[in-house]
Amino acid sequence: MGRASAQGDAKEQVAAEKAAQTGARATVLRPVPQHTAAQQPSTALPDWLLQGQDYHPDSDRDGFIRKSILSMAGVLSGFRIDGGQETPFSPSAPVKLGIGLAVILLTSLSTNFAFTLVMLAAVLVRMAILPASALRRCAGISFAAAGMTALVMLPATLLGQGQSAVLVGTKVLVSVGVALVVALSTPTHELTGALSSLHVPGEVIMTVDLALKSIVDLGHVALEVLQALRMRSVGKNRAKGASMGGVGGVTLMKAAEAARQTSDAMRCRGFEGEYHLARRQSLRPADAAWCAALVVAVALFVYLQGVA
Amino acid sequence: MHIPENYLSPSTCGVLGAAMVPVWAHAVRTVRQTVPKEKMPLLGVAAAFCFLAMMFNVPVPGGTTGHAVCGTLVAILFGPWAATLCISIALVIQAVFFGDGGILALGANCFNMAFVLPMVGYGVYALVMRAGGLRGRGFSKPDDGALDSAVDSKPSNSAALPTASTSKRELIAAGIGSYLGINAAALCAALEFGIQPLFFTSAAGQALYCPYPLWVSVPAMLAAHLTVCGAAEVAFTVGILAYVRKVAPGFCLDSVARDAGRDQAVGQSFAQTAMPRRAPFQDDVAAEPDSLAQRKGRAAVAVLLAVLIALVPLGLLASGDAWGEWSTEDVAASVGYTPAGMSGGWEWHSMLPDYSLGALPDWAGYLVSAVVGVALLVIVFRVAAAGMRAKVDFGTR
Repeated sequence: MGRASAQGDAKEQVAAEKAAQTGARATVLRPVPQHTAAQQPSTALPDWLLQGQDYHPDSDRDGFIRKSILSMAGVLSGFRIDGGQETPFSPSAPVKLGIGLAVILLTSLSTNFAFTLVMLAAVLVRMAILPASALRRCAGISFAAAGMTALVMLPATLLGQGQSAVLVGTKVLVSVGVALVVALSTPTHELTGALSSLHVPGEVIMTVDLALKSIVDLGHVALEVLQALRMRSVGKNRAKGASMGGVGGVTLMKAAEAARQTSDAMRCRGFEGEYHLARRQSLRPADAAWCAALVVAVALFVYLQGVA
Repeated sequence: MHIPENYLSPSTCGVLGAAMVPVWAHAVRTVRQTVPKEKMPLLGVAAAFCFLAMMFNVPVPGGTTGHAVCGTLVAILFGPWAATLCISIALVIQAVFFGDGGILALGANCFNMAFVLPMVGYGVYALVMRAGGLRGRGFSKPDDGALDSAVDSKPSNSAALPTASTSKRELIAAGIGSYLGINAAALCAALEFGIQPLFFTSAAGQALYCPYPLWVSVPAMLAAHLTVCGAAEVAFTVGILAYVRKVAPGFCLDSVARDAGRDQAVGQSFAQTAMPRRAPFQDDVAAEPDSLAQRKGRAAVAVLLAVLIALVPLGLLASGDAWGEWSTEDVAASVGYTPAGMSGGWEWHSMLPDYSLGALPDWAGYLVSAVVGVALLVIVFRVAAAGMRAKVDFGTR
């Protein structure tokens, strides 16, 4: 047995040397070990392998992990860094942001319900032509916010001030709808860039940009950790909730590491503490029409305030 | 035909509302089975046509007004159960946001306008089409052979492109169906009005709710609907159907099969090379980019909708209320007393009562109301479509 094995190793070494010299791929055939009759291994399967598998794990509740994964995925799908649905008639991001803020402001200040209803009509029309996924999100959040407002205003309704509940609920619907339409119809980088038109300091814009990107990156890290936790959790495990700190800790460490790397990279590129936007967003022909519509809305607001 | 609040007794409203529950359930189930996900937003547009048609008031001799409903039109395009769903949602929006029709009377209004009208109208339409050897082209289930015939490049009647003679017959059938449909609905409303003083009276013999008995309500309602309102319904139905068939053949349910047959006939060459561009009312749920003809069709329907919205203030030219839609004060002035159920009944304060905006002129209120109503209907059906699961037909095993 020992002699045969030694011969086999020698042949294998010679073949390997030849292959190394010629550069060709050599197939090394290992000799089959010679067994004596006395040492012949038994072909019978071991007893433990013959036993029927009788493993029935207790039903385990993984609601914590499942819900965490789902909510994390939902948040990530909400942060569409490359998203935004624009049409040929969309205004540029700064104009859109300005109009959105102006409409929210006018709606809030209006004391005439007619103005709120005109704004509601405009928001509903814009909402109705959003892409399906954006419409679902926009309509769901807007009407839920209006419904919550109506619920909060329920005591006023019961005391005979139902009109107030309708008024406030409609204003909430318009304001949330406008904010969501602006957010969902504009790419995020353009939206943060448009903040410069409001004379927001560059450092603030940079912080928002970095925060949005970091949220997405760290969200992916948290998602991977949660998936790993779910895969490792075999059988009954009552201490899943205790892993929450671990998930948070790993995410925090990754956040610190990413922040340090970003800081180092910016310092290497000569960042001196002042952040200037690389480019200014140009205006579009559609901006004139949208600005005219805003002027009409302001005129209507002034007229209806006088009537009220 | 919108029965206001407190014109019907709570028991009448309850019975008709309970009767509508299984109808709505069956309508939802049928629409889920027969209407593809990508066609669902078009139901919102069809409901918007109904909503707008009901805003065009036409004067009726005698000082009242009436309006069309377009229920038969939606039934022809998308099937009677889809029409039930569309008109029901339009009536809910009218009642909740505009106070047109009572909240408690919603079941009764839906029974008349969303169930009786499209069923009778579509039934008559199908009978007339069948009498001419043709089948109704509006409502074909995916398993009735239309899709198979389209795939086999041997389109059946339902999948065939309309010829001049079939189009003419279809328009005639649609006209007859819509006329009889709206009159059947008006008859039901008149019966509901008329039985109130027969069953619900005070100890003094005064009516508690609608004070007009059957021999007043039935002739009054039918006189208006057999003449002016019926003519308006026919005009709206035939006009819109002819327009849609001509410029937007894809705006109906059976166009799934028809488009499949046509696309295969041309080798789907254009559909595959066309630039993917979103047309009005097209969701991003469609599996394949639409052809140029389909995009043009959707744009044409959007233009028609915009024109109807712009023309909605014409409905204000007809002054006066519709029969049975008077205020409590008007009823009291007419019959000499205020029915007890109407004076102490529950009232819903809507957002835009009677489609008016208070400080703004009536035409502006009417216009804003039309925009709000149409946008809400489109949003409701598009959100419903986004929530639907896409179905894949793997054929029969």
